[in-house]
Parts: sequence; structure tokens; C-alpha cells
Amino acid sequence: MHSEKQKHAFEPRIIAFVCTWCTYAGADLAGTSRMQYPSNVRLLKFPCTGRIDPVFILKAFQQGADGVLVSGCHPGDCHYIAGNFHARRRFAAFRKLLEFIGVDLDRLQFSWVSAAEGGKWVEMVTELTERVRAMGPMREFRELALEEQWSGALDAPELKEAYNSI
Amino acid sequence: MTTIDTSIYSAVTEAIRGEAQRTLSEGLVTAIVGYAAARRKGSAQPIVITNAADSEKLIFSPACVNNLTVYLTKAKKEIPKTGRVGIVVKGCDLKALVGLMGESQLKRDEIYIIGVPCAGVLASTVQPSQELTSDTIASKCRECGEFLPQGCDFVPGVEIPAAPELEKNYSAEIARLEALTPAERWAYWREQFSKCVKCYACRQVCPFCFCEQCLCDRNKPQMVESTPRPAGNTAWHIVRAMHLAGRCAGCAECERVCPMDIPLNLLNRKMARELKELYAYEASFQVNDKGPLATYDEKDDQSFIK
Repeated sequence: MHSEKQKHAFEPRIIAFVCTWCTYAGADLAGTSRMQYPSNVRLLKFPCTGRIDPVFILKAFQQGADGVLVSGCHPGDCHYIAGNFHARRRFAAFRKLLEFIGVDLDRLQFSWVSAAEGGKWVEMVTELTERVRAMGPMREFRELALEEQWSGALDAPELKEAYNSI
Repeated sequence: MTTIDTSIYSAVTEAIRGEAQRTLSEGLVTAIVGYAAARRKGSAQPIVITNAADSEKLIFSPACVNNLTVYLTKAKKEIPKTGRVGIVVKGCDLKALVGLMGESQLKRDEIYIIGVPCAGVLASTVQPSQELTSDTIASKCRECGEFLPQGCDFVPGVEIPAAPELEKNYSAEIARLEALTPAERWAYWREQFSKCVKCYACRQVCPFCFCEQCLCDRNKPQMVESTPRPAGNTAWHIVRAMHLAGRCAGCAECERVCPMDIPLNLLNRKMARELKELYAYEASFQVNDKGPLATYDEKDDQSFIK
């Protein structure tokens, strides 16, 4: 029996970049095992975490993601032997850069989830969703995109109203 | 304000001229990329000479700010395609040259390196005729520890005068920003990036931006918006800093050429600092086959990964 779905004022949009060999299979296992996890997360399947360019994360935030999850095989389990080792260094550096630019790192989560860890996937996604929900929508990149639609100097009440209703 | 001793520069100029004369007339090199006096008083500009008689045009002065290694990566009409090419480099430029060799963009035996013992160059904001002092020196020179290039084919034998202790602008600014909250940092960078006009001068002048097609110019799929508007500007500067992480030699040319005075090198310095801390890597005079992000160690830190 499904438990009653709780209603929330804010449903965060979470984009998950996952590797096809481990985390995608892990999420699949969670599904086939009928485990419940928030539907806020949208999966994007990649051949390997090594294929996930930091610019994808940036693009996700720009397109309105409130949180981003990157997940792949545990170290040593990579289908392509070393893809996740390279990704680990790249993301360690990218995190530092985003932090310096002023992005709250609580919105960005990295994890290793193997094909057998359906439970870990559910736990992690639930935790991330609740954390991002508590933080509220990601405004930074959205405000930048809005700045392009009218000059910052324009401050008409109807524009303000339209902005606040977004 | 203290004056910085640049008395060695005349001896350096003489030595560069002599070496250019010798190598060109002996046929050791087919061209030399160096600095020449420009029209404005005290200013300097890059020059490519292919004739031994032109060696008298070469100079070295505090106005010789350019990183000439960029001319070896982006084809320049004046530089002959065949033969060995000589190049005049300061310590910071040599690090870029070494980085390019590590990335197989240049071969050591195809270039003839003339290293310059350097006491510092002028900041981009001051007139080139001004004297080099603790106020007019470039920010990168304040934190430079490599006054004498190493591993060159020729270095003028002069004694570099002891440098006075200078205020470290970059370190201070990075520390200031790090102490702020994420929201304050975002506000700072948002303001800085909003100035950007997307002229791509920073890309054009960077020795490491040698991709034939930049990711940011591609439009199918378009990863970074190409228009000079806030979202695209922010994305461009983040991508730029990320692509230079672990490669940047710290020559600060990006910041020098920026017409809108965006502190671009802060991002690069911050990344260099993080990579040094994480993977003990630093731009140096030693050729490394692989930069920190092109290699890995199984024992790398993964405390940020669940």
C-alpha cells in the first residue's frame, strides 16, 4: 500500500547525472524493489562519471535546477577502469570553484552508488531532496537569466509582480 | 613607496641583443620573438625578427609585460613555420612555455629559450614611462618567487638585486573573499561578471586557450550562451577558470588585457591554490607530462563524496 503523499509548498527540481553501469542500475533496483523515493529527482544517464563535464552541472543550474546530484561507480569498480578516478579530481576542483563563486555547496551532491545499493540511492535522494526543500529555490542563476529580459534599471511594479510570481 | 632597482635591465637588453645577433647570424634560429620599443614613451611591444641586423631593436624594460609564448601557439604570420624559433621569456612566461611543452603543443628542440632575469614589470593601469616602484609594479610580480628562469638555452649573467617585501594583493583579496558568506561572494562576482562584454580578449591572450574550437563557441549543443549578458558571462568565466585549473601558469595576461578590469586572475590563482593543497601540484619550470586533472591517484581525497 502506498502511504499518503504529503503536500509541500515547494517541490525542488533535482537533476541527477548518473553512470549507466552502477547508479542507474542501482536506481533501477530501487524501482524494481518497489522502494519509495521522492519523484523530484530527474535522472540523466551517462556512460560514465568521467563523461560528466562540469559545464553540465552549470547548465542544469541555469535551466532551473534547485539541486544537482552526480553519482557513479565506487572507486575501483569503473566499467572503464579509471573514469571515476578522473571524475573525482575534476569534481573536487569544480566544487572549490563553485564555492568561490558563491554557490552553496549543499545543493550539489556527489556519491558512489553501486548497482546493488538501491537502498543507499533511496536514502541519499530523500536526504538531498529534503535538504534542498528546506533551502528553498535556487535563485542565483535564475536571477541572472531574468536580468537578460529587462535591464536592472527598470523597476516597474508590474515587472516586480511578474518576477515575484515566478 | 619604495623604488625597485631595475638597473640590470640595460645589461639584460645588451645580452639579449648579443644573443639574438649570434643565433640569427649563425643560423641557429630562423626567428626571434622578443620585445621592441613602441611609439609611446617608455612603452614596449612584441616583435618578431628574422634578420640579425634587426637585433638592435630588441629591448627589455619594465614595460615588457606581454607573455610572448602565446605567439608560439596561435599561428602568427610573421613567425616562420620551419626551423627553430627563439623566444624571450620572463620567469612567469617560462612556466607557460613549460606547460605547453607538457601538453605536447611545443617541442623543446624546436624552440630556443632566452630567459630574462626579471625584477618585475609595470601594472597595466600605469603609464609605461613610469618608474617601477612598489606602487606601480604588477600584482603578479608582488607574489613572484621566480625571478631567474631555469632550464633556458641562454640567460644573461647578471645579479638580480634583492627585491623589497611587497604587499600581496592576490592573496589578500582571495583571503578577503573566502571570509565572506556564499551570498556575499555571489554578489561580488555577479557585479564583476556583469561588466564583461564578451570580447574574449582573455581567451585570445591566454597561451593555454589553444583549442581550435572553443566549447563556448559551439552552438549544437550550446553549452555556454555567447551573448554578453549576465547568465552567459558567468558561465563563460566559470568554464574558463575550470579549463585552466591545473594548467594556468599565473602570468595574469587575462587580467591585464581585460578592458572591463574584471579580476580574472583571482579565479585562476584560487584554483591553483586549491590544486596545490589537494594534489601538491604547482606550475613550475619542470615539464610534467600530465597536469593534476589529467591524472589520478587511487588514494585521492573523497571526503566530499557520499
